[in-house]
Amino acid sequence: MEIIIKSEQDNITALFSGRLDTPASLQAAKDIQPLLDQADKTIILDFSGLEYISSSGLRVLLTLRKEAARKGGKVIIRAIREEIRQVFLMTGFYNLFDIQG
Amino acid sequence: MSKDYGLDLHCRLILEEYREMVPVLERLKEVVLDIIRKDIADKGLMVTATEGRVKTEGSLAGKLELKGSKYATSEDITDLVGVRVVTFYSDDVDKIAAMAANLFDVDRDNSVDKRKMHQLDSFGYNSLHYICRLPASRYSDPDCPQLNEIRFEIQIRTALQHVWATLNHDSGYKSGVEIPKDYLRAINRLAGLLELADEQICRLRTDITDYRRRIQALVADGKLEEVALDSETFKSYLAMRPFDALNYRIAAINQAEIQDVSLQKYLPLLRSLGMNTLGDVDKMVTSCQEDAYRLATFQLGATDLDIITSTVAPQNLCIVYILRTGGGRPGLQKMFDLVNGESPANEILAEMLYKQAEELKII
Repeated sequence: MEIIIKSEQDNITALFSGRLDTPASLQAAKDIQPLLDQADKTIILDFSGLEYISSSGLRVLLTLRKEAARKGGKVIIRAIREEIRQVFLMTGFYNLFDIQG
Repeated sequence: MSKDYGLDLHCRLILEEYREMVPVLERLKEVVLDIIRKDIADKGLMVTATEGRVKTEGSLAGKLELKGSKYATSEDITDLVGVRVVTFYSDDVDKIAAMAANLFDVDRDNSVDKRKMHQLDSFGYNSLHYICRLPASRYSDPDCPQLNEIRFEIQIRTALQHVWATLNHDSGYKSGVEIPKDYLRAINRLAGLLELADEQICRLRTDITDYRRRIQALVADGKLEEVALDSETFKSYLAMRPFDALNYRIAAINQAEIQDVSLQKYLPLLRSLGMNTLGDVDKMVTSCQEDAYRLATFQLGATDLDIITSTVAPQNLCIVYILRTGGGRPGLQKMFDLVNGESPANEILAEMLYKQAEELKII
């Protein structure tokens, strides 16, 4: 599991790759700290490389969403794979994020 | 070197007293503002401004030049410290006034309710002025007993009264220069208009509050079919937690935790499904919940996902309702478009759900 973060002027992009399972989520919770710090901006999560997400991974995303809501920022998810989209749908997470493509 | 305003000896003495008092006046202003702001916040009142000022030397000199003989000492001038509270609503003026009377010692003989001073055929400056002292029981400093002796003025007015007062001041209406009758008439008409607007704003707030109470009572009594579906009534309905029972059942599939999130974004969808009353929504909850639960079991049962959001119940209920009422794939796609925003992926999701529903014989 890898998260590569790129900061631009008005937004910040995080490229997720691999499996966001329970062990990886522990590390991911630390890796997203730059996103939490800049949660007043538009945060783009690029899921094109994300193969799997567990409940722990969903909780990491929830933390990010709450922080963005608190700071007036926004979280956009892009390039989500079909299997991940289904997970978002059945858990109700599909309603929580701006999912673009 | 003090500025010479050309005042007589008596007025110059008062002005000299004032100069020595300025630090105490500034402190009194801050203490009074702190007390008022804290009480307004504690009572949850909304005001547009709470501000204060110490009369400037130039302004005092002007006052003394006009009517200096009226004052024996600086203590007779009651507006050296002035605090103003500007409210949104006219009935809040009385609430703030009651609050001020409770906080400070009001000198009733010198306080004026200018709202009650109008003649039948005139309009104009409406505002409530209280002349007060800071009671030692509220705040005291043994090194500065003047804080409890100096009188100060509190003006309480609405935002529109404030607009009026500012316009009136800027127009030079009271400057002594004669204003043509046409202008006076225009000023009076404007004052009447603002007064009427203040009344209407206040009445509107009361009407809206009454409406909310009536709706809440109908919802509480279960008379949902009598309540039109709109953002206000949907909020009251959601306060009854109508989706909790289904969400708890769905969460129990995987012993999941439920993240509570806003469900307001389902309102446009419910309206697009032709639901006009809360009764329509409630009927959907009752009639579709078994199939909505079966759908959730089908989706989540084979996973170990142990977190869901509170949107799962309304989402699954709407899916079942759309399919039962013949909405088909386009109906499901429209649902995602309305709740999540338009996306090409919504068509794929609609197709997937349709197949699941066929398998479960929901259609």
